[in-house]
Amino acid sequence: MLYKAKGLKQVFKERVVLNLADLEIESKKIYALTGANGAGKTTLLNLLAFLVPPTSGTLQFCGKGVVYHGQGFLKLRRRVVLVDQYPILFTGAVWKNVEFGLKVRGIAKKQREKKVKEVLELVGMQKFYSADAHKLSGGEGKRVAMARALAIAPEVLLCDEPTANVDEKNQRIILDILERINEEKGTSIIMATHYLPQSRYLAHHTLTLEHGQLSREPGDRM
Amino acid sequence: MDLLLDSLHSAFLLLLARDPELLNIVGVSLKVSAVSTLIASMAGIPCGFFIAYSSFYGKRLLLTCLNTLLALPTVVIGLLVYSFISRRGLLGSLDLLYTQKAIVIGQVILIAPLVTSLTISAVSRIDKRYRSTALTLGATQLQMAWVIIKEARYGIGAAVIASFGRVIAEVGIGMMLGGNAKGFTRTMTTAMALEYDKGEFVLAVALGLTLMTIAFALNMLFHFFQGRTRVDAL
Repeated sequence: MLYKAKGLKQVFKERVVLNLADLEIESKKIYALTGANGAGKTTLLNLLAFLVPPTSGTLQFCGKGVVYHGQGFLKLRRRVVLVDQYPILFTGAVWKNVEFGLKVRGIAKKQREKKVKEVLELVGMQKFYSADAHKLSGGEGKRVAMARALAIAPEVLLCDEPTANVDEKNQRIILDILERINEEKGTSIIMATHYLPQSRYLAHHTLTLEHGQLSREPGDRM
Repeated sequence: MDLLLDSLHSAFLLLLARDPELLNIVGVSLKVSAVSTLIASMAGIPCGFFIAYSSFYGKRLLLTCLNTLLALPTVVIGLLVYSFISRRGLLGSLDLLYTQKAIVIGQVILIAPLVTSLTISAVSRIDKRYRSTALTLGATQLQMAWVIIKEARYGIGAAVIASFGRVIAEVGIGMMLGGNAKGFTRTMTTAMALEYDKGEFVLAVALGLTLMTIAFALNMLFHFFQGRTRVDAL
């Protein structure tokens, strides 16, 4: 089991935003996380990315309980990456953004260059290699953010509304990339989405959140 | 009016002739101001980052204290440092009084709260998602901090420039702790005060012009850091 959570609760300013009695997520699958605005999708993704500790409850990753400190935590955090709904691109060129994860891991320059070119080609953004990241359109920015995440070859890719506010052409490209990396590299994908047809088409399982609680058991791809 | 015009004329001649006394005074001013800005920045920027990005008991009180320190008069700092470094003071044995080091100490106390406060403001303006993006991409806390500092660089740069502008134009600390010793601790502002007392306006005006030129250059830099170099943004 990739993730296993018990009694996972997240409270913000005395308001319970997430309260999951049990949650199990298998590895190498695509999960769609659906639910209305404020249902707790983003909160859950942040927990699964180990960006915040839960207020209470336990979270296991690959059979081991998550400990939110120490050198082991950094190693654990580096196995998972979250792509935001409105991804932040750092100031500078596209290639600088894409190489960020590799650079902080101490990967050599030549290898970084090779990997950056490879992933930019994968998302169809190779022409934008030297472009200013802050001058990209919404869809282009999302593809660069996706490339930046894929460059570090994560075991788990978490995507918050990967196709929201993106034109149809870019939506198709992003969904194809997700499907491809799941099939070819076995990357586990958990994506929050509002679009039910998308989750039915792409995801192996769908998790629906309602007021911070799971309202439906995982369903199969239709 | 004649007095001013005559002084201006003579001051220009003094500047053109590169008067050694004038150059020495400008050199001392630039040196002590640069050193104090460097020290205050080295302390204030990390402190500002830490305060902006952490939540702890008493943070609000600390911010209030910092803002209060921004209004601290230079003579009060001068008096305080004097009480420590004068011969009868706690650090009297170090013989710091009336040295450039004494001016630096006073100026660091003057601008450290300013650098810290402006850094807090610059860092707080950076979207919180920069932090989470850096972390999810595998950055350590230190690497994440570097990302934020890079994103806030214009604001932090402006903080440093504003602090330099504050110390190069101050007179109280230079006078009380430096003693205005010719060739050693005489800065532009203390020299101007002395020349005024003597009724000699030429050197004072020349120094004033130099100070205004430096202030103008600093403001140009300030605008550059804020990305306002384009005419339409002014």
